[in-house]
Amino acid sequence: MRTPSRGLIAALALTPLLAGCFASGQSDSSSGAGSKEGAAGRLRVALAVPPAQALSPYSNDATVLSKLSVAEGLTALDEDGAAAPALARSWKRNDATTWTFELRKASFQDGTEVTAQSVVDALDHANEAETKPRVLSDVSLTAKAEDADTVTITTKSADPVLPLRLASPALAILSAKAYAKDGTVSPVGTGTGPFEITRLSGKTSAALTRFDGYWGGKAKAPGIDVSWIADGTARANALRGGDVDIAEWIPTAQAKLLDKDTRHEVPSVRTDSLVLNTGSGIFTDATLRAAAREAVDGSALVDSVFGGYADPAEGLFGPAVPWTAGKRVEVTGRAKAATTAQVKAETKGKTLRLATYTNRAELPEAASVLQQQLEKAGFRVKQDVREYTQMEADLLAGKYDALVFSRVTLLDTGDAVAYLASDYTSDGVYNIAALKDSAVDKAIRAAAEESDTAERQQKIMRAEAEILRTDAVVPLVHEKAVQGIAPDVEGVLLDPRERSLIDLDTHLK
Amino acid sequence: MSVAHGLAPARPRRWRSGAGRVLAGAGLVTAVALLPWLSRTDPALTVLRARSADQDPSPADLAAVREQLGLDEGPLAHLAAWLGGMARGDAGTSWVSGEPVLPQVTGAFGVSVTLMLGALAVTVLVAGLVCARTVFLGSRRRLRQDRVSTGPAVLAALPKFLLASLLATVCGVWLGWFPSSGWEGPQSMVLPALALGIPSGAMIGGLLDQALPAAFHEPWARTWYSVGFPPGHTARHALRRALPGVLPQLLPTVVALVGGAVAVEKIFNIPGLGRLALDAAIAQDLPLLQTATLALALLGMAAGLLVGALRHALLGRPLRDGALPALHRPALPQGRALRWVAGSCAVVLLGLVAAGLLRDPLHVDTVARLVPPSVAHPLGTDSLGRDLLARLGHGALRTAGVALAVTAVGAVTGLLLGMVPQVSAGLTEAAATLPAVLAGLLTTAVTGASVWGAACAVCLVGWSPYAAQSAALLEQERASGHIAASVSLGAGRLHLLRRHMLPALVPALLRNALLRLPTTVLVLASLGFLGLGEQPPTPEWGRLLSENQPYAELAPWTVLGPAGALVLLSVLAVSGTALRQRSA
Repeated sequence: MRTPSRGLIAALALTPLLAGCFASGQSDSSSGAGSKEGAAGRLRVALAVPPAQALSPYSNDATVLSKLSVAEGLTALDEDGAAAPALARSWKRNDATTWTFELRKASFQDGTEVTAQSVVDALDHANEAETKPRVLSDVSLTAKAEDADTVTITTKSADPVLPLRLASPALAILSAKAYAKDGTVSPVGTGTGPFEITRLSGKTSAALTRFDGYWGGKAKAPGIDVSWIADGTARANALRGGDVDIAEWIPTAQAKLLDKDTRHEVPSVRTDSLVLNTGSGIFTDATLRAAAREAVDGSALVDSVFGGYADPAEGLFGPAVPWTAGKRVEVTGRAKAATTAQVKAETKGKTLRLATYTNRAELPEAASVLQQQLEKAGFRVKQDVREYTQMEADLLAGKYDALVFSRVTLLDTGDAVAYLASDYTSDGVYNIAALKDSAVDKAIRAAAEESDTAERQQKIMRAEAEILRTDAVVPLVHEKAVQGIAPDVEGVLLDPRERSLIDLDTHLK
Repeated sequence: MSVAHGLAPARPRRWRSGAGRVLAGAGLVTAVALLPWLSRTDPALTVLRARSADQDPSPADLAAVREQLGLDEGPLAHLAAWLGGMARGDAGTSWVSGEPVLPQVTGAFGVSVTLMLGALAVTVLVAGLVCARTVFLGSRRRLRQDRVSTGPAVLAALPKFLLASLLATVCGVWLGWFPSSGWEGPQSMVLPALALGIPSGAMIGGLLDQALPAAFHEPWARTWYSVGFPPGHTARHALRRALPGVLPQLLPTVVALVGGAVAVEKIFNIPGLGRLALDAAIAQDLPLLQTATLALALLGMAAGLLVGALRHALLGRPLRDGALPALHRPALPQGRALRWVAGSCAVVLLGLVAAGLLRDPLHVDTVARLVPPSVAHPLGTDSLGRDLLARLGHGALRTAGVALAVTAVGAVTGLLLGMVPQVSAGLTEAAATLPAVLAGLLTTAVTGASVWGAACAVCLVGWSPYAAQSAALLEQERASGHIAASVSLGAGRLHLLRRHMLPALVPALLRNALLRLPTTVLVLASLGFLGLGEQPPTPEWGRLLSENQPYAELAPWTVLGPAGALVLLSVLAVSGTALRQRSA
């Protein structure tokens, strides 16, 4: 084989030229954080969602900053979901719309001090971002520096959950260096957390080192090596092969392959439900919605599709929102379900268009189970399964009768009202159920206006009952996330809100 | 024909093929630039989604994105701005991340090309092993029995993503020989290169193995043998005769992996161009997508020119002078094994389908999930407790039917385009490297989600291997002596085509098409996420494989059944047609 081997030699001769491509991710590691394997005790973490906007806090990537303890806001959330001090030592509400925050003494990773002015600048930048961070979408606030360590924040209308809002990673306080003239924001070396990003290589990896000037003390781990692995099986494989110490979100199909002591389950704030289109098609009829509700049994999904990593649905909010348990309001006044014969008669010739998306592996499987349950109740079902962005416009336009939907119920604010308002009020921007019900609107508005925490929670549960009464949504299961953690790692945070993972105390044994 | 104007000036021809290439590239980039406007999917929404997955799509945010990206100016203004930038070496900034596009694309391109070269090395190795027996026997004149080896058909039918999963699990996780994921040095290249190269090598080797006996039965080989030339010498020259017909297949089989290895890139977490282009396509991040498409088209054309030059170097003067002896497969007695193989494949497949058709493929039984093969479920059950035998049986007809139809359309289109190589060369090269997903998106843009969409999309790009093959073989055939003789005896074009060209071309084309059948099944299924093709839960072999892939390690039977069925189909197709050809 003379000629092909010449070609082969040529190809092999080219390989060293291209070998630089391997290093594209690692080229400056030696100059940056010190060599990778050199520093013992560094944590190796596999995250699931690659950076969309170079870790800008105004994008999807914001949670990475809080997960890895890179940046902090004025407040943080504690385990019960209440606001806790972070960069702000304390705060008080002066009147309905003004709050005063006292800052603690802290410094940014670039050496500059955290001052009231830097907080004001950071919040101003968030306000002026081209696409406003979601957490600011329903509020407008202005910040003012009173003195070196006092900030006053004024909101246009009363905002009882402002301290919760400020805990959002999108409102992390970064140093002046982070904000470029063209509107981009870079958290590299500009946060205040115990870990500092020293290198970000595209969408593949990042290196973090301990920030010794952190106000809360020194982190136990000397640094973190982050790699982004989008494929769940590959993440699980990386953990099993010993390439990483921590792998987040192991898919349920892979969880059983992990050793028992590496797999940790966390109740998640995600609820999977069947959303019925009340605006057009067969489910405008409340008795048919009721029939669908009675036909569908979410608990059948728990041990099958979710492999045990889910809880049967109790309502819109699950065990990850602990206060809901004792406050649940009984649902009354539901429509009477149509019998199988009635369903058949009323849907004659019409098929139920059941949509779901491929982005979450469990949903298409769940749809197939639900299809069988609905068919038993007399519906004729046709599935449409695509990538989410390929169908979102159609969903919002009401082109489907039902959607198997996985939704985060506590959004950036850590407050449940935001989710209810966007998904179930008549003018909600994410109202896929096309629900227009004045009682629901009223109940959600009442919850939004309440400032007393306990009373607010009670009103949220009342709104939940109102929504469930309409049968616009049938909760199926509350998901659990499986985090893979090697046995020699201690102190990983298992957070239902998916906001924290590694902090000061996380380290290798 | 070619003889008639065999010495025609080369320049107009080059000019024509050059224009063809420019047109093909320009057409492709324009089609991509128009994508959001054709599909009427608002890029503001998809870009917003890519930036922030849980963001509520409020009208104010969408308007902000629209204004930021200048979407209201329309597609042409945007395309013009991008082209203007390209002229200055600036490909613009990504709509999603706001970062410059060029470094992202060049980085991913470098990674993918490196991986492709690794796969090429494996391909050459595997192809060599596949042909080793024929080369050894042929060079010693011991090639007495015709043998259609089914080995290549088996290997070529292995789904690459399944092979990748298997290698990652066994060599990466269990044995720890190589990293199971990442891209950190030559050692991370081994497993993905194997996963990509083994099926490709089997494909190329299968085609070469088919062409070699003809070379060994040419008069020169007999003379050299009787004179006592060493077998190695004969083998080299036989390869030199047979290779030029197969080389163009490297383009759609190996070079296409630069943009088309998405599944393997995902499994091994390789930051390659396939994933970059896929993400850009889903987010409708046009600057990134256009640049990636352009890079792929340019790569395809460069590789096409290189392969062309290599072919001409191998064939040399005889091709130019029209003095190339035609390669014709010798009539050898046929082995009996072939009948047995074809017969048993047919019996097993028919048995599977018949047994499967008697069962319910859609019945979900969540209690009996992932049950291993047993009397009640001979092939086991899937993750929803559905009977796999039933799903295989019910899916057989639809899967095989659609795949055969798509392959037939592709082969005929390829044959027709291959007859006008100067015009179609650019188009063939561009289509060869175009990822099927992009074709799928273009199809959805025009037809919307539909049952036939997947078939249309695959037809859109699937013809390129056959066009490349036809063009190469026809060129060689035209340069052969007997064509010159026919022409001098007054044969017309139609006569030449019917009596000389097609008979020489069709067997090779057929074998190529049949070896590609399993790939077609998988590509058809891979477009499901765009809403193309039959929707779940309809059983279809490609879908069976992809929906059970996550369970490959936990419950291997869920993928072994469909993969085995695909292998059987492929072997049956290859051996069955070989039988027919011989007996005809």
